[in-house]
Amino acid sequence: MKIALQSLAANKLRAILTLIGVIIGVATVITVVSIINGMNDYVAREINSIGTTTFIIDKYGMITSEEEWIEAQKRKKITFADMKAIERYCPHCDLLSGSVYTRRRVKLGDKYLSDVDIVGTDENYIEVSDIDIDYGRGFIESDVKHNRTVAIVGPEVVENLLSGLDPIGKNIKVHDYFLRIIGVGKKRGSFLGMNKDNWVALPRTTFEKYFGSRRSVEIRIKAPDLLSMQLAQDETRMILRSRRGVKYNQEDDFGIYTAEAGMVLFRSFSAAAFFAMIGISSIALVVGGIVIMNIMLVSVTERTREVGIRKAIGAKRRDILWQFLVESVTLAAAGGLIGVLLGVILAGLVSELTPLPASVKGWSIVVGIAISSAVGIFFGVFPAVKAARLNPIEALRYE
Amino acid sequence: MLIKTVDLWKTYTVGTETIHAVQGVSVEIEKGEYVAIMGPSGSGKSTLMNLIGCLDSPTRGEYHLNGRRVSAMSDDELAYIRNKEIGFVFQTFNLLPRASALHNVELPLIYNGTSSGERIRKAKEALKTVDLEDRMTHRPNELSGGQRQRVALARALVNNPALILADEPTGNLDTATGAEIMELFGRLHREGNTIIIVTHERDIAIYADRIFYLRDGKVEKEEDVRHIKNSGN
Repeated sequence: MKIALQSLAANKLRAILTLIGVIIGVATVITVVSIINGMNDYVAREINSIGTTTFIIDKYGMITSEEEWIEAQKRKKITFADMKAIERYCPHCDLLSGSVYTRRRVKLGDKYLSDVDIVGTDENYIEVSDIDIDYGRGFIESDVKHNRTVAIVGPEVVENLLSGLDPIGKNIKVHDYFLRIIGVGKKRGSFLGMNKDNWVALPRTTFEKYFGSRRSVEIRIKAPDLLSMQLAQDETRMILRSRRGVKYNQEDDFGIYTAEAGMVLFRSFSAAAFFAMIGISSIALVVGGIVIMNIMLVSVTERTREVGIRKAIGAKRRDILWQFLVESVTLAAAGGLIGVLLGVILAGLVSELTPLPASVKGWSIVVGIAISSAVGIFFGVFPAVKAARLNPIEALRYE
Repeated sequence: MLIKTVDLWKTYTVGTETIHAVQGVSVEIEKGEYVAIMGPSGSGKSTLMNLIGCLDSPTRGEYHLNGRRVSAMSDDELAYIRNKEIGFVFQTFNLLPRASALHNVELPLIYNGTSSGERIRKAKEALKTVDLEDRMTHRPNELSGGQRQRVALARALVNNPALILADEPTGNLDTATGAEIMELFGRLHREGNTIIIVTHERDIAIYADRIFYLRDGKVEKEEDVRHIKNSGN
């Protein structure tokens, strides 16, 4: 052990150059695993924010390709009448809320924001969405019934148009129409670069009056508990299929989205990324391993005479084997350690400098060092066996 | 009897040619003897030394060292014998260039599991025997040829072996330094060590008590030279 370390210390520069492959391999593993982990935590939090007992019905469902998107465009829109029918015929649907969306310019005095998300919705919206009221009030039934010109706004809107003022009671202009602010939503931050606080909600009746009623409705449904969740979805599906005339052998022409389904989809993406990463880093590790094997073979040749001396004074094959194996494993593990440090730094930089989150997990560090040590063993065995098998007489004569 | 060989043969095949380097050597050497093996190059003396030093196994014949039948041993058993029973001194010193004198002397003890403290104590003692205790931390390239050979001798002595085997120990040294080293061998012999020196120089061989002359792989003659040494000095 000590013998092996001494010889490594004597060749520092060469050792470090040798390790670049392993360093890159391990650094890749750590960085990518950290990013994927960070993404997992982040996306999981986001997806689960809609809650485990809520599901969302819309015309599109989860779109993962352009063909699906084009196909989904052709579907019939979902209407408020559909929502009313579900409300009536679905016994396990506790709470329903229907929303329509558009994007408009929002103005107050001479300040304005373009491209604000405008939501036409109802009194249950706050309950079934991940939006909370920070101050003021939410919608009530009569706001919707009498198409009142009231609005709840996101904190971003307040910050940009009403900073320093009390927003409640102020009139903002959405497109061409004035709305009185009755409530402000809590800050939600951004998700993958999308701002989630830049919105204005108004009663859906008011929305339809101003912006038309041709949009497809997104229905959010809350089941009373986790057990009723599947039943509520099944009932909703039956009602919508019959209302939309879907034949028994046809697929749904609408989408049901749950947090669970979202997680399944996301996991399949992150698993793909994970395997791609394993592919890349294993190439780097194999290259790194071959470089280590090469340098160890050179080292064995260079030190043939040393091996001869050691054997002459009583080193057994096992002793020589261990010496070179410990050397290559130490070399590779040192590379692994440097790679881990580099990976941690890279992961830190990524989460600092880009919207991608990254969180370094303890197990990935352990795995990084374990993998590099394994590379050291695997690629060190051949040179070490070669050294151990040297004939002492020939080795002593070697110049 | 420390060494006993019976009809020892060593045959090599180089390409299609078969070389009989050692052809039926039978020698007996007692404990505490000082023996030289002499012969011109190609006489098979290096091969015989390798056989006696347990670096190689004979093709045929028997070799007993210190009561053990060495000729049938495996590589690792031979390594054990080399470690315990034999101390080598080479023409080219064969020290580890990057290690200190002390570490070089310690080396044989590492391979028989001696504890670190005991190793250092024994290595220092061995260096003292060869009068190099003040050069312990020096590396071989910081030492003169004579000093290097004395480090090698200390290494050979450190395990208290049954036999010190020296292959042309003065071959890389000037005459005066060579004589110093031979004096040292003489002293070690008087202290009770068994020494075998392989050389092609009669001037060196006569330091021993007995000379085996080797030619074409056979012991040509044997000569007692004690009277020369006694009358010479």
